[in-house]
Amino acid sequence: MMGNLIKAEFRKTLSLKTWWVLLIPLALVAFWLTFAWGKITNDFADFLSSDSDARQVTRLIGLDPSQVPVGLLALAHGVNLAQLVPGLFGIFALAGEYRSKTITTTFLTAPNRISALTAKMLTYIAWGAIYGLVSFGVSAIAVMSSVDSGRWPSAGQWLAALGGTILAAVLVTLFGIGFGAVLRSVPLAVVLFLVWFLIVENVLVILLWGQTTVLGGILPNGTANGIVGGIAADAFGFNSLNLPDDVNSGAQLLLQYTAAAPGVLSWWASALIFFAWTMVFFGLGWAGNQKRDIT
Amino acid sequence: MHDGSGRIVVQNLSKQFGAVNAVQNLSFTVEPGSVTGFLGPNGAGKTTTLRMLLGLVTPTAGQATINGRPHSQLGNPARIVGSVLENEGFHPSRTARNHLRVYAAAIGVPDRRADEVLGLVGLGSAADRKAGGFSLGMRQRLALATALLGDPQVLVLDEPTNGLDPEGILWLRNFLRSYAREQRRTVLVSSHLLNEVEQLIDQVVIISQGVTRYYGSLDQLRKSQQSRVLVQPADPPALVKALQENGIQQVSPTPDGRVAVAGSSVQQIGDIAAKAGIAVYGMQEDHADLERMFFQLTQGQYTGGPQGHPPQPQYQGPPPPGYPPQQYQQGPPSGPQQQQQQYWGGPQQ
Repeated sequence: MMGNLIKAEFRKTLSLKTWWVLLIPLALVAFWLTFAWGKITNDFADFLSSDSDARQVTRLIGLDPSQVPVGLLALAHGVNLAQLVPGLFGIFALAGEYRSKTITTTFLTAPNRISALTAKMLTYIAWGAIYGLVSFGVSAIAVMSSVDSGRWPSAGQWLAALGGTILAAVLVTLFGIGFGAVLRSVPLAVVLFLVWFLIVENVLVILLWGQTTVLGGILPNGTANGIVGGIAADAFGFNSLNLPDDVNSGAQLLLQYTAAAPGVLSWWASALIFFAWTMVFFGLGWAGNQKRDIT
Repeated sequence: MHDGSGRIVVQNLSKQFGAVNAVQNLSFTVEPGSVTGFLGPNGAGKTTTLRMLLGLVTPTAGQATINGRPHSQLGNPARIVGSVLENEGFHPSRTARNHLRVYAAAIGVPDRRADEVLGLVGLGSAADRKAGGFSLGMRQRLALATALLGDPQVLVLDEPTNGLDPEGILWLRNFLRSYAREQRRTVLVSSHLLNEVEQLIDQVVIISQGVTRYYGSLDQLRKSQQSRVLVQPADPPALVKALQENGIQQVSPTPDGRVAVAGSSVQQIGDIAAKAGIAVYGMQEDHADLERMFFQLTQGQYTGGPQGHPPQPQYQGPPPPGYPPQQYQQGPPSGPQQQQQQYWGGPQQ
């Protein structure tokens, strides 16, 4: 029965253009942002050896600026921005069904709402993974075409970044489903999602950096970015958890921003906290749909 | 599991949306093998009732079951009940065939079923067109096709004639009749217009203000119709007296000086008047048709009867000139609908 419902969910998506139309901005963002950042980070090693704060950090953590895997930083930027696309895709999953009023038929053809929503969740986990995979692949190509091969990630780092990208994309997709389900409006959810993830949270993190560096480590955008960003930052040893105490906070922001994750605690802490954010919205959306009168 | 009876049972069903009582203590049963009309004015609670039956709206009290089970316990519900609801949607960019293939997958019927039902509702040539470009009538047909995907035992249709042209309505009538009768299935059709479904239905449930007003066969409702005769005598009190002496009790005056007589014929009244020596200047037979009966049963909604306690049905349908509704009391409901122990009146029962 669940197999039937999952098949129906895939058909819903595959019979429309949205899924591949969204792949276009995803691929463009993942490629060009990674490519541009790759060019910049190719010079990052130079930055590490020229800036006094950075030199202090690299010396403290025993990093050789000539051999740092800066490709990871570029990749983190690319996939972190690109993962907003599966988030948007997730918003359409439930809110879109309310918009087109197909939710009625969806509920009427499923044994009960739990199975309908479960099938949707499982299907969108797969879609999130597909988007993550594409995002990673495109970014990896961009890394290879913009960063010197000596600075590419190691095999282990490639794998970690692949895993992190897929995990983040799946979670962002589920976050989008929940966010859309809670707001019950596609346009509102899309606008709020983009405004928060692209602008509001970044402004908050940077404006309040003087008071606290914790925001980037706990807010949704920061933690979503912190999964792959944290893996990149890990490679450099500048997660907030293991950053030496005597690094000043301005340099910390700059360093962690380079890894697309200002304030990042660690990749796994980010994953856990963003998972919690996802569960909050997904749980609220789920609970609302479980009981909601479809009139 | 469900009992496979094809029976719809609505028991003491109530729904409140905030302060609004959409449905109050509604009860009725729909049996297989017939088409049952579910009638009431707009806003009477029909849609809410059907949506509670289909598990889309949670009742405040009472229950609605199909085959003895609530919708959420039917297993694969679309194999048991198919529905055409107002406000049911299609993604505007999805083709009719793809729409059906989505739900064919969900129900677990083969993909060819999508083309079968498209042919069945006459949309075969529009299979590859996007639903967003469909007319209202085509959307209704596509909704019906979706309802038929699982070859269900029970069909529930909310205002299915909306948007259909006369040809489409005729087609729907024939289709639903054969669906119910030849295949012994259950069909429940809601409408706010009796004459739209009159030719189609055998049984009828009439509700107004969320309360059942009549529930029984349409034939019984027809037979319960009393026609009346409007008499213009020279001496009304004398005629009333004469009629009463002859055992005709249902007599009432009208504001324009005429006498309304129920349960009698023009010939009878003429004879009585002649015997009593009362001049009669005119007589007019006033046949209450089914539509007026329906209007009368559902009138409380428009005359602002007290909320939560609707008035007993009165013969206050669209009156002829000179006849304000309250002048013609039909008296307490009598006749087949009560003998059958059907459900008249409001929550006082």
